[in-house]
Amino acid sequence: MDETLKFDIREMLDDDGPLGDAGAPADMAVHAALRAVHPRLKRAIDRVRRPAVRIGVIDTAIGRLLVAEGPRGLLAVHFLDISEAADPLPTLRERFDVVEDADTAARIGREIERYLAGDSRALDRPVDLSLVRTDFQRRALLRLRRTVPPGSVITYQALAAAVGKPSGQRAIGNTMAINPVPLYVPCHRVIRSDGTIGHYGGGVKRKIKLLRAEGFSVARDHRLPAGSVMGHLVTHTFCRPQCHAAMRADRAKSVIFANAQRAQRAGLRACKLCRPA
Amino acid sequence: MEARANLKLPPPFEQALSRHEREIMRFLLRMTRDQEDALDLFQETWLRAYRAYPQLDSEAGLRPWLYRIASNLCRNRVRDNLRRSRVISNGDDPAGHDHRATSASAACGDHADVLHLRRAIAQLPNKQGQALVMRKFAGLEYEEIGAALDCSPESARASVYQALKKLKAI
Repeated sequence: MDETLKFDIREMLDDDGPLGDAGAPADMAVHAALRAVHPRLKRAIDRVRRPAVRIGVIDTAIGRLLVAEGPRGLLAVHFLDISEAADPLPTLRERFDVVEDADTAARIGREIERYLAGDSRALDRPVDLSLVRTDFQRRALLRLRRTVPPGSVITYQALAAAVGKPSGQRAIGNTMAINPVPLYVPCHRVIRSDGTIGHYGGGVKRKIKLLRAEGFSVARDHRLPAGSVMGHLVTHTFCRPQCHAAMRADRAKSVIFANAQRAQRAGLRACKLCRPA
Repeated sequence: MEARANLKLPPPFEQALSRHEREIMRFLLRMTRDQEDALDLFQETWLRAYRAYPQLDSEAGLRPWLYRIASNLCRNRVRDNLRRSRVISNGDDPAGHDHRATSASAACGDHADVLHLRRAIAQLPNKQGQALVMRKFAGLEYEEIGAALDCSPESARASVYQALKKLKAI
């Protein structure tokens, strides 16, 4: 055994810390090995690569949110102060390559602020509902987003009917509870048939806040304001809730507007029977 | 309104790769003493790391976790090679071991004394050899070695001590 080796081992024994590079593969060799393996490794990983998702945390007027955007659209908006809501992060990480991106998050945050300040078109970016499990749920969420604009609401029952399940109001309730992209898919615009606003995944207080921002002056008892009117999307008319025409109308195609002006702005005309405006 | 970076995520995979690929390669070259084997194990290590990356939940755990994957693969390879050499050579080619050492030393440009040391490390029991390399050459903490080898920090320390004792006794 030669001198150098003895010296090395002596040093290793005396010192409890790392020894550094004694007898290590030379940097050149490591470098060459890496260069040789990189193309192979990249090909191997590309075969199983997950799509990228950018995430970030933002503070907005309605609280601290986790947002996640993938290549096909917004995947998740999550109220971080709601402890019982399922954290989307583990699922996101399992299915996507998650990277933090403060710029994307900030852009989404500004958009939400514009919306809260009254810009009803601010939340137009595409959403990606791939975190939603069933087809029924996905259809309900898309339908809601497409047909219930700011300033209107729909009942759980009517939305159930609209996606072909007239007695599925409970299923709609569950679907709203798992909505991965609240605000962007406006689950706060789904209310109970008795005119009270019902529950909200982000807390009832938030639901009231959001509805008020959209023109519904929700009362203390959580009821919709007296001036609310029923809008019929087939006939493009709107009625007082007690109108005979409203009673006969297809629930699946009705939404509720905060007042006559909102309905008119959405392109509907007043019913000639009950004359709501 | 400011975006905040307060999610405690491990770094993006590509960053983990560029940060730790050199030391993992060094570790594998040392453990396998064979360039081709080291490249294969390197690729397999990082492919597995990519696949399992969602399960890694903190940046602090990253380094021992990578060593753990790499050292498990090394252990499997030693087992497989033993099985193979028993079948093929049937014990009549004791020089087979030295071919490997020579090719590795050619790749790494070593002197004879370093070769001695490396061969001595290779003769150590698997866990002791790995613990020694992680401690003395990669500079991991005993906690990290424990996490990588699935044992307690005390056991990791004991392994390194035993390894050094054996090397000294050569």
